[in-house]
Amino acid sequence: MRKNSRAGAFWLLDIGGAAVFAWGLAAAVAALIDGLPLLVGVAAMLGGGAIRALSGFAAQSLAIREAQRSVAPVRAQLHRRLLGEVLPRPIPIGESAAIAIDHVDRIEAHAARFLPVRQAAALGPLLVAGCVALASPIAAAILIGTLIPFVLGMILAGTMARRAADAQLRALEQLSDLFVERLRSLAMIRHFGAGERITRQIGAATQGVATRTLAVLRIAFLSSAVLEFFAALSVALVAVYCGFSLLGILPFPVPETLTFREALFALALAPEFYLPMRRLAAAYHEKQLGEAAHAVIDPLCAAPPAPPAAHAAFVGIEVTDLVIAWPGARIGPVSFRLGNTGMVALTGPTGSGKTSVLAACAGQVAASEGRVSAPLMPNIAWAAQRPLVVPGTLRDNLALARPEAGEREILEICDRVGLGPLLAARGGLDLTLDHRAAGLSGGELRRLGLARALLSRRPLLLCDEPTADLDAASAAQITALLTELAKTHAILVATHDIVLAAHAQAEVRL
Amino acid sequence: MSAMDRLAAQLGIGRRVGLGWPLLLSGIAAAASVALLGISGWFLTGATIAGAGGMAAVTAFNYLLPSAAIRALAIARTAARYGERLTSHGAALTAMAGLRTRLFGTLAAADPRKVPDLASGEASTRLIDDITAIEDLVVRRSALPGALFGGVVATGCIALSGSRAAVAFVVLAGVGLMVGAALARRVSTGPARAAAQARGRVRDRYVELAAARPEIIAYGLADRVETALAGDLAALDAAQCALARGEAALNALVTVWSAVLAVMMLLLADKGPALAALAALAAFAGSEALAARVRSALREAVVAAGLARVAALATIAPQPTPQSGVPALPLHIGGLDLAPGARLVVTGASGSGKTSLLETLAGLRSAPLDLRVGEMQVARADGATLAAQFALAPQSAQLIAGTIGDNLRLARPGVDATAMWSALEVVRLADRVRTMPGGLDCPIGEGGGTLSGGEQKRLSLARALLANRPWLVADEPSEGLDPVTEAELVARLDAWLTQTGTGLILVSHRPAPRALCDRTLALTPLP
Repeated sequence: MRKNSRAGAFWLLDIGGAAVFAWGLAAAVAALIDGLPLLVGVAAMLGGGAIRALSGFAAQSLAIREAQRSVAPVRAQLHRRLLGEVLPRPIPIGESAAIAIDHVDRIEAHAARFLPVRQAAALGPLLVAGCVALASPIAAAILIGTLIPFVLGMILAGTMARRAADAQLRALEQLSDLFVERLRSLAMIRHFGAGERITRQIGAATQGVATRTLAVLRIAFLSSAVLEFFAALSVALVAVYCGFSLLGILPFPVPETLTFREALFALALAPEFYLPMRRLAAAYHEKQLGEAAHAVIDPLCAAPPAPPAAHAAFVGIEVTDLVIAWPGARIGPVSFRLGNTGMVALTGPTGSGKTSVLAACAGQVAASEGRVSAPLMPNIAWAAQRPLVVPGTLRDNLALARPEAGEREILEICDRVGLGPLLAARGGLDLTLDHRAAGLSGGELRRLGLARALLSRRPLLLCDEPTADLDAASAAQITALLTELAKTHAILVATHDIVLAAHAQAEVRL
Repeated sequence: MSAMDRLAAQLGIGRRVGLGWPLLLSGIAAAASVALLGISGWFLTGATIAGAGGMAAVTAFNYLLPSAAIRALAIARTAARYGERLTSHGAALTAMAGLRTRLFGTLAAADPRKVPDLASGEASTRLIDDITAIEDLVVRRSALPGALFGGVVATGCIALSGSRAAVAFVVLAGVGLMVGAALARRVSTGPARAAAQARGRVRDRYVELAAARPEIIAYGLADRVETALAGDLAALDAAQCALARGEAALNALVTVWSAVLAVMMLLLADKGPALAALAALAAFAGSEALAARVRSALREAVVAAGLARVAALATIAPQPTPQSGVPALPLHIGGLDLAPGARLVVTGASGSGKTSLLETLAGLRSAPLDLRVGEMQVARADGATLAAQFALAPQSAQLIAGTIGDNLRLARPGVDATAMWSALEVVRLADRVRTMPGGLDCPIGEGGGTLSGGEQKRLSLARALLANRPWLVADEPSEGLDPVTEAELVARLDAWLTQTGTGLILVSHRPAPRALCDRTLALTPLP
């Protein structure tokens, strides 16, 4: 990500506009005192206002474009990683979507709203002090002088506040985790009539977090109070200094004689001194959420991509004491061997990790323990429970894995997997599909996935629940087909179906 | 009352929530801001005129009062802003704690068959986001009226410099407020809606692609995936960009308008240069009200959809709480009549609808099946009646995050440790739980974490036993058990069923638990 954004530069130009406005104001009031026409001063005020308006507009609209430009490659890489590359642990679909969409939104907001003002916050106050110094070096010195106690105050209050604010963010996240978890369990909670009891529990938890959060906020808001105090104090000090100086009753000698115009110019610019830092404070929430999102996304993007697999002859697959573990769950150990041909069935209850084991065999999820003799990527065909459908013709979708497949081969395989009746009834291979595959039944989709796998001409076929949700006749056809294919292919099925499992040479229970 | 206000009132965060102290303090802070800048300008100008008038004029000029006022205002502004932030967050936190609890109470009391499915990660995440956005709305409620009060104070300061200037300020600022709000709604409504729709499409499409991840990897289809998402992502980016540019344009207008206001004050003030300076600076500071109005209108457009979604959930009608210990009703399932205490095994191939039948009985979903409880068709029975008759041990254990005890206590109010241990004995889990750190108080993660799949299902079965319902509905309760343990589980369950007179509706492909049942229903798949 680029450190220097043009958006930040426009926030500095905004300060230039403020200086023109302040100069105009001072000139106009001075003209009033002297009874002269206001024209020049008024024109400068309006011009300064226009510069501020344009530079603010440019800064904000550039910020969003720069943010989108810097986030787009991260998002593309993240999507590629989450959807199409090996992951260190299996990531459930809901979490994957949250990372790919909500977390990306947060880093975009971070880049659009926080980064540009951070850049301006460092240089802005110095620029304001420089402009003030042109009129009154002492007033500028007063402004810079307030920075010293301000910085000390921020170090004291800011450290406490950051810790408090982070703790608050965590507490709120935990609370929303509890809320989400209970929402997901609503069916069972309702079934057992536990609604009132769980509601009381949620009520107590949220009320508790609210009370604790409020205590935390008392500290967290101290840092903004420090900022606010010095912002107000700097204006007050400049006003009092300039006023006393104009009256000529300063209790100490100063090496400058202020004119009214210089004094009013310094006063009108004084509020701008802390403005960049107040803008920064206003974007603190975006900073917090953005950094939390970066902490999730960056390691995912940083891990080196898997090296492209070299093509090698398939000689079977051997799985030895395979364990897939991540915090809160553990699958395995699993061991089995599958040669060049034959069928092995992975069975076990829903949620026991059949699909994860298949994914580990395909090298798509890293094993925590044990090993899988590498079945190189180009050797694997995957027949999914609900296959990917891309908008296009049925032909495109069938030949997705091997676009060069010929018409005759496609038709032959369609016949083999039982897609013949569909082709006859719906206008052949030119049938147009949208991404929801509207118009195809669950069984037809399953067959589409299987046909795609066969068309890919790969020796190892991984099938995820090939017969689930099919009627008995269709399930029998698929079972017969897989049994037949097992004579020429190595087939690993994850299944609930005892009939299909009975046709396998070996059954591995999870 | 606007549509937004009505929805907010429905959610118990009506107009007055988030006002009170926050409003008072926000008003003080805004007034102090305006007065600080205005008095400073007047002080400088007055001091200049006095300074030019010689020593006598300087002595006559009361500089102590304004300089003290300036310092007092600086402190007052700081204290008021701090207080405002604290009280407005306090009000929002309390209001949202109430809203979360009420919302959950409503959802938990509703008939599962009539509620949108919130089990998916997307739905629950969106709900959380909506609630967070509403909380933000409450936090910022006091900002606009506070800033408007600052505008009123500015008008008062300006009135000192002459009535012409004050009238001009009221008219120009009033026009600015109305035009600003109207423009803000105009530029944000369309893009906010477009962004929400595009984000929804990206989410739906992404979830489909994530489900197809294995194929995408196996066949190297990552490029196709990028193309598939590209259109909706571009639409999302464009809408976000339009929203940000609209906001930027409005901010620019507000900046120009506040400069115009300050200039008009200088041109129209007729009570001398010192009061003219006061008027110009007060007008400049008071135009913060314009910025606040625009911000609040922009925010409303973004929050509106979420507010409507949450309000729709909060108005679902409640059903009575199912009771335990009600008299057993006879059942009629697929042509079979079952007296209380009967035991039925449902058989059929994968996909023939066994699980669907059990969940329909338990009132979790509606399937078009011939099922009667007592004299009533299940489809027409209310959820509470069904839940009072059946205790379900579902196919996926469906445990809640918490301890073993939390899960068992879910079954009904007043479950004690003795009852929990005896239920765990029946399902052959007591020894395992005794070895776990903390026993019944041992936490298990979301979805059952540290327990194996089979153990989770038996814990879920123990929970169903504790519910004290006339019918036990169990889906593959012994899956993943070795034959010896399974035989023990079946024997203990048999004794428990006989002793309590509970009926059983079982789905299992294993012979041992099937032996518990004397009646069989063979399901044939729906065509």
